[in-house]
Amino acid sequence: MTIISTNTQEQEYTQASFQALTDAILPPDSEYAYDFPDMGVHAYIIYALDHYVSIQQQLHHTVVPLAYPTAVMLDTAAAKLVYTHQAHPSPQSHFPGGGMFSFLSRQDRIRTLAALENLYVDMYALPSPYQNNAGLVKHVTDALNRFSMFGYYSEWPAYGSTRLYPPDSRRLQFFPPGWQQVGYPGVSLGYRDFRGFLLKMGRSEVE
Amino acid sequence: MKTDPDVIVIGAGGGGPVIAKELGERGINVLVVEAGPWYGNKKWPEPNQNRGKAKMSSDPGDLDGSLYRNQFTRLENDMNDLVTGKFRWGSADRRRTPWYRNVPDRSFLYQSAGIGGSTVHYYANSLRAFPQAIDDEWPINYDDLIPYYEKVENTLPVEFAPTTSKEALFYYGAEKAGFPLNQTLDVTSSGYRPQPNAILPPNEHLMDPDVSLEELSHMEGCTLSGHCGQGCPYGPSLEKMAKRSTNVSYVPLAMKTGNVTFRPNTFVMKILTEDSASGKPRATGVQIRDTWTGEMEELSAGIVVMAAGCIETPRLWLNSELPHNDWVGRGMTTHYMDMVTGTFDAQTLMEILGSPSVNPFVGHTSGARLDYPGLGMIENLGESPGLSAQQAFGFSQYGYNILRGPGSDKWDQRGRLTGSELEEAMNGYKRSLTLLIVTDDEVQYQNRVELDPNIKDEHGPVPFVRYTPSEKSKKRRDQLAKVATTMLRGAGASQVHRSDLPPNYYIHIQSTMRMGFVVDSSCEAYQVQGLYIADNSVDYNALGGPNPTLTTQALATRTAELLADKYF
Ligand SMILES: Cc1cc2nc3c(=O)[nH]c(=O)nc-3n(C[C@H](O)[C@H](O)[C@H](O)COP(=O)(O)OP(=O)(O)OC[C@H]3O[C@@H](n4cnc5c(N)ncnc54)[C@H](O)[C@@H]3O)c2cc1C
Ligand code: SF4
Repeated sequence: MTIISTNTQEQEYTQASFQALTDAILPPDSEYAYDFPDMGVHAYIIYALDHYVSIQQQLHHTVVPLAYPTAVMLDTAAAKLVYTHQAHPSPQSHFPGGGMFSFLSRQDRIRTLAALENLYVDMYALPSPYQNNAGLVKHVTDALNRFSMFGYYSEWPAYGSTRLYPPDSRRLQFFPPGWQQVGYPGVSLGYRDFRGFLLKMGRSEVE
Repeated sequence: MKTDPDVIVIGAGGGGPVIAKELGERGINVLVVEAGPWYGNKKWPEPNQNRGKAKMSSDPGDLDGSLYRNQFTRLENDMNDLVTGKFRWGSADRRRTPWYRNVPDRSFLYQSAGIGGSTVHYYANSLRAFPQAIDDEWPINYDDLIPYYEKVENTLPVEFAPTTSKEALFYYGAEKAGFPLNQTLDVTSSGYRPQPNAILPPNEHLMDPDVSLEELSHMEGCTLSGHCGQGCPYGPSLEKMAKRSTNVSYVPLAMKTGNVTFRPNTFVMKILTEDSASGKPRATGVQIRDTWTGEMEELSAGIVVMAAGCIETPRLWLNSELPHNDWVGRGMTTHYMDMVTGTFDAQTLMEILGSPSVNPFVGHTSGARLDYPGLGMIENLGESPGLSAQQAFGFSQYGYNILRGPGSDKWDQRGRLTGSELEEAMNGYKRSLTLLIVTDDEVQYQNRVELDPNIKDEHGPVPFVRYTPSEKSKKRRDQLAKVATTMLRGAGASQVHRSDLPPNYYIHIQSTMRMGFVVDSSCEAYQVQGLYIADNSVDYNALGGPNPTLTTQALATRTAELLADKYF
């Protein structure tokens, strides 16, 4: 077994897990809808998790990548729900390369997140840095929701092929689909919606 | 200028630039060191990509409004992403990760590093404390504060917010719920009013179709563009930008005194002290680290002012091994928050507003408020879609609406929304009004910032932050959530969602270095001579609920006066 193939497998696994995650949290078919190009929000979450935490170890400043252990954590929790008959895996997954989490229905994937944030999981069985670290488990499980929504409804997907470039090299390639969906017109110079002043400073008179 | 300043100020956020300007005007030489980048300064044309040629800047001619406008793209991910955003808590270099803080549990610690600090993304609501939260509570009286409030209000300046659709709907709801208009800055009873905020009033030509919005955005005054949370680059020059973050208000004024220098990209690692005749240590300077090169240096000054914010000021005290004080980092308050969102039918809106949508993204991010002394306050909140979705529907201590249901007939939905529920809620974005509930929370010793015993970053042991609301705070929040819901229902909302936010939503952090416990009533540390504090951490309590920054700025103004009288 070469290191490269392990990495590819690991990458595929991580990708599938986060695709399964965003598929459960975000509007249906967000990743595959015809009207929008691939939103790719799972890639946003993977990037965010892999660049969220860095610490000093002896003389080295080290980034602690969280995406892979988070995917493992989702599977551990999913497996527990399955063993205890609270979730039922389907025979095949829409997310090739993924683990138990990706075999669950959308609702059961949400149930898995709820179980994790309530620490309904064997804390000792989790990978580092989650092992016996309740605070971090809750923090990251919650963040998965926030990251998904911010990734989807912000302009991030519209950076297209430059999404994962350093921020100053990203370019908007189309109008953000999430903004289009909700009717947000985007960056504005101003709006002519001035309806007067209810109070004025120092004079306190009503118009 | 002299190489050794008289005073070193640590941090250029809400408080630091205020004390720097006041001292500079008194002829005192000040160096402000700031951990993050400087946007809108010609000496750092690409502040996130390279260190720039200069180390510091003191010439107001270095400030450049059009550069600022290019950098502040107003795109919510580009500006506000926690990991890579320009307003993140981290070094200027966006290839690097943010600075780590151990904030366990469901939590969101929202601060910004750079010249202007967290005021670059704040909403500029500039409120006085409730008098009842100061009198007989703080070591000073409300009347002592009034002249300083007035000075800051005139300097920023503070004005009452104009009305746009979402404020009109807010006032309508408040009236339906039976509240009166409160025509005052000193609030002693409940009622609604426009936000007094540090935003220049709209230009008189805003409604004139012959003047284009492009032109208006280069003129003086707010254009109601709705980007307050993404930073405001609208105005004829840097110092005339509509939203008065300290980087466009107090920083230029400080520079104009000719006595104040700002040095960005510089993290203070340690406060230096020496023994003095009085028996207690005396501040002598700081040890700093360049965030681009990692180079360390020592700077000396007779007086040091900590203005690094509520998390970093206590962390710095502890990492500097200053004398032990039981209250350092303790008694943290955070205005235990919640959010209630109402969605309206087009027909209802037509009747109230004469238009079928509220368009929450138009106008000041938060232009209207309801004050409720004894409980706290409620304000409207109109953010861009990504931020709205994540705060209102993605962050909750309740769990998922599809698994639990709303749990009360007051709300149609509660907690996190996912899948088609989320889609439906966001499809109502343009017809929605979100109310932010800001609860006056009690000071409790166990709520704290301390050093993480196991984790360090390049600046030493990282902060560990923990907060649990008291029973009283929980009750107050529930009452406010009901009031907010009554306002929305009264205005005719067809659907009401309660976020039920987790307690650890850190936006208004205060009181980790309390007056009367860590600092005396002039904000000088009891245990270290010549060490002052000028940020939110000196607040004795949570002010009764009003947003904290104006009080910090009033106190910093007062501290400058007392400091100058004592030492210069
Ligand atoms: C989204 C949002 C909206 C808000 N809206 C409002 C509002 O409308 N009204 C209101 O009153 N408040 C508002 N606030 C809160 C407001 O931002 C803070 O009250 C205010 O900025 C606090 O000022 P400060 O000086 O205590 O800290 P900060 O403004 O955070 O400034 C601290 C500065 O010190 C620097 N620093 C930290 N450590 C070091 C170190 N070791 N060395 C050098 N520099 C260091 C930081 O980089 C930072 O620039 C809002 C906050 C958020 C997040
Ligand atoms: S609405 Fe906010 S961002 Fe827009 S011009 Fe006014 S102050 Fe600036």
